[in-house]
Order: sequence, then C-alpha cells, then structure tokens
Amino acid sequence: MHERLSFFVKRDSALHHLNPLTKIVLALSIILVSIFSPWYWTSHGLLLVVIVPLVFIGKVANEYFTSALRLILPAAGFIFFMQAFFQPIGQTVIFNFWFLDITQESLLFAFRIATRITVMISAFTLFLLTTHPSELMSDLTRRGLPPQFAYVIISTLQILPQMQAKAQTIIAAQRSRGLDTESTFFKRIGSVVPLVSPLVFGSLVEVEERAIAIEARGFTSKKAKTSLYEISDRSSDKFIRWGLVILVIISIVLKLWLS
Amino acid sequence: MAFINLNNVTYKYPLTKTPALQNINLQVNEGEFVAIVGPNGAGKSTLCYTLAGFVPHFFKGEISGTVEVAGMDSSKSTLDEWVLNVGLAFQNPFNQISGAKYTVFEEIAFGLENTGVPRNEMKPRVEEAMKLTDISNLADRSPYSLSGGQQQRVALTSILVMRPKLLVLDEPTSQMDPIGTREVFGVIRKMAEGGMTVVMVEHKMEWIANFADRVVALKDGQVLMEGKPNEVLTSELLAENGFGVSRYTSTTREAKKQGLWKKENLPVTLDEAVEGFKK
Repeated sequence: MHERLSFFVKRDSALHHLNPLTKIVLALSIILVSIFSPWYWTSHGLLLVVIVPLVFIGKVANEYFTSALRLILPAAGFIFFMQAFFQPIGQTVIFNFWFLDITQESLLFAFRIATRITVMISAFTLFLLTTHPSELMSDLTRRGLPPQFAYVIISTLQILPQMQAKAQTIIAAQRSRGLDTESTFFKRIGSVVPLVSPLVFGSLVEVEERAIAIEARGFTSKKAKTSLYEISDRSSDKFIRWGLVILVIISIVLKLWLS
Repeated sequence: MAFINLNNVTYKYPLTKTPALQNINLQVNEGEFVAIVGPNGAGKSTLCYTLAGFVPHFFKGEISGTVEVAGMDSSKSTLDEWVLNVGLAFQNPFNQISGAKYTVFEEIAFGLENTGVPRNEMKPRVEEAMKLTDISNLADRSPYSLSGGQQQRVALTSILVMRPKLLVLDEPTSQMDPIGTREVFGVIRKMAEGGMTVVMVEHKMEWIANFADRVVALKDGQVLMEGKPNEVLTSELLAENGFGVSRYTSTTREAKKQGLWKKENLPVTLDEAVEGFKK
C-alpha cells in the first residue's frame, strides 16, 4: 500500500550526481540523434555504445534489464513483427505465409523502427532510474517552472497509490455489505456507482483540506522559495548539455545534407 | 492590547443560511493556552479557521466584526502574511501531508522552503523541531508509511518548525494513544510557556484541565461560557447543553446527589477525584 509511483533507485554513481536537467537533455538528445541520424546503424549503435555503458556507469543494470525484458522487448518485438509483415516494400521475399510476405527490405525497416523504439524507451528508463523526482522538480522550479506545476506532478505520483489503496478499502467495505462485484457483466456495471462515488467525493473533500494544509505552510507565500538540498549544477554539466545540443544539431544537418 | 482580539465576529459560509459564528467576542493574551470545547457543529473549526486567516481569505463568505491577531487586521492583511504569524494544524493527519515530499525530514522542511528560510538555517531548525516532538527516528521514512498518530505528530512538527506566534490546533491528538497525547500536550504547554500563544480544540477534558489556562465553550456558533478549566468543565450549564464531560465529573456529580461527595467543586481529572474522595 505504501509503494509510490517512482522508478528512482538510490545509488552512488556519476550519473546520479549529474544535474537533473543534464539528464533530461541527455535522454532527449539520444532520442533525437537516433531519429535524425542518416545512417542505418545509428540506433543499434547508440544502444550498444551509449545506453548499455551508461546503464553500467549509473549502476542500475539490474533494474534496467528487468524493465527491458518486461516492457521494452515486448513493445519493440510487437512493432518489429507488425512492420516486418505489413510494410509493403521490397521485392526479395524471404518468408511467405498466406498473403503475408516478409521481404529483405521490410525486415531491415522493421529492425530499424524496433531499435529506435528501444532507444527511446531505454533513454527515458535510464533517466527515470537515476533521477529523484523531487530533485528534478526542485531543479526545474529553480529554473523558472511554476511551483504549482511541480507540485501537481510530484503529488500526483505520491497520491495516486494512496487513492488506489483507498479504492481497495471502499471495495472491501461495499462487498462486506453485500455489493456484487463478481457476477454478470451488467451487475458489475451497476456496482460501479457505489464504488466510484465515495472515492470521487471523498477525494474532492480531501483536496480542500490539502489546499488548506499547504497554504498554512506558506505555499503561496510571495517570498522567494529556498530548497533544503543543494542541487549540483557544475560547469561540467553545462559543458555536457551544450555538447549534446551540438550533436543533435549536427545530426539534423547531416540528415538534411545527405538526403 | 490583547494578542488575539475578536470583536463581535459573525461569519457565514458561502451558500449557507445560518451563520457558523455569531457575535463572537474573544480576547487572548500572549503566551496563553486556551482550549475550545463544544459539540459537533458548534463552530469550533470555523473559529480555528478564522484565527488562522482562512476565514474569510480562503473560504470567502460574509464576515462582520473585527479580527485582530498579532497586530494584524484580517480585513487589511492577506493570507500569505497571516500564515507567517499563525500556524494551523487540524484533525485529519493524512490530508496534512503535503504529498510533495518523499521523507519526513523533507516534509517538515516544506514550510521553511516556501517561506524562504536560508538552507543553512533550515536543517538545524527541522532537527530541533523533530527532537521537540520526539520523531527524530522517523526522519528518513516516507510520510505515507506512518501511523495516524505519527502522521499527526509530523503535521504538528511541520507547523512548529515555522515558529508561529500563534498556534491554532484543531483536535491535534485525535488519533493518538494516551502516551502520545500526554507527550504532545507537554510539548504544547512548553511552547506556551516559551511565549507562544495556543488555541486548541480538544475533546479530552482531563487533558484540558491539566494543561490549559482557560476554556471557551462554544455552542451554535456562540460563546456559551468561558473561564478557568475547572469552573467551565464542571459547570451545570455545560452538562445541560449536551457537552461531553469527563467521566470523573459525571460520576462525582451523581455521587454528590447521593451525598457521597462532600466538596463544593466537582473534579475533572482522576487525581482530583481520588483526592476528593479521600477527605
């Protein structure tokens, strides 16, 4: 019941010590380069040469490969087969099943798309695994993100699991009064109302109380906010960020120039 | 001039017909510990919100009369000035957890971050406040993993750390066991002796009798009675109006009718009752 929606794993690594913004820029540039680069090998190249080493530098190999197996492989695999079968390109048929053909070209295309998807999800998984959400939000608030916006993001991550737990309590309470939640489809539809209404109305009341509580702690105070933890933003962070931006620009230019 | 000065205050929530507070007059001096008692719907929470500035600044509605706290006039100052001087903690601890923080330590620092306290001051202040309410051992826990009583302590600490001049508490010990209640009352007493003014809504009569300087009894949005804890809590007027009284008061009231209680005044606490029966 007390779990929270966060992928963050606390480790002591070079990646964890980077500024959160640097890590966002890193994830985005990996994705953009893999999309814009004109060469076929870029995506799987990035995966092997950039993402896998970063996973080890960040000391999150276990977590990364678990989520890779659970989430990334099924998603990428599905897209690979869909593209391989249904992409109507190429002449060299390798495999034929009923009206579906796999050609050499469609296979290559499917592989490219699937690796690109893998790179995208991997880059973000890596970012989420090594960045504490509240550190990210404090850093972005310091850079001018409205604190209300940051609050909504962070509190949602924490309050959703609590609401889930509350929903379970309501279900248990209503079932103990004889509410039918396991028989026919239409009866179950009918039992949605007594489950959802206490949850929704209860949450609305809670929102008001929570608003009072954070207001009482100066949330809308006009004084400049400070932060408990200092979030490091070294000159090396700035250097990395600008370097990544330049790489992205280069890959876009190359794409335009070579195609 | 008194530290809290409510003059003929009448307040009506938006969309309601009857006022929640009617002609309230209340003066509290600096460093005083005032307890508020009353049945459900008597206006206790509304009075708390008024003292903390949320009525009328947060709830809107119609207010008349004057509300002055710590030299501020509610009609002239805004809520964000008000919260710097007045701390408010209320009953449901779960809704007082901000949700923006992952550990108890960060949770308590939330108010300091918002009001711009410098970082080097923040850590010692949080540590000191946690020591005061005896929750230092919870510092690295998630606020959501705590029990109701622990969460109430965290909520109280989050307000104490901001060092308000006036502390407004709406049933701050409702989910605590007797030991926790005694400790929290002890802390609040200490704060009052240190010069902080405290206004507290509480149902635990024996604790009020032991710790508060004065009791205000509310009914239907009006002040029914006020005075020394023992006078108010044992008065016939309260019993007639359906207020909860301590079990020692009701027992000895019965005993007095049957001639078993010889003293003039009724007790509120166990100790007083034992003392009275011995004589």
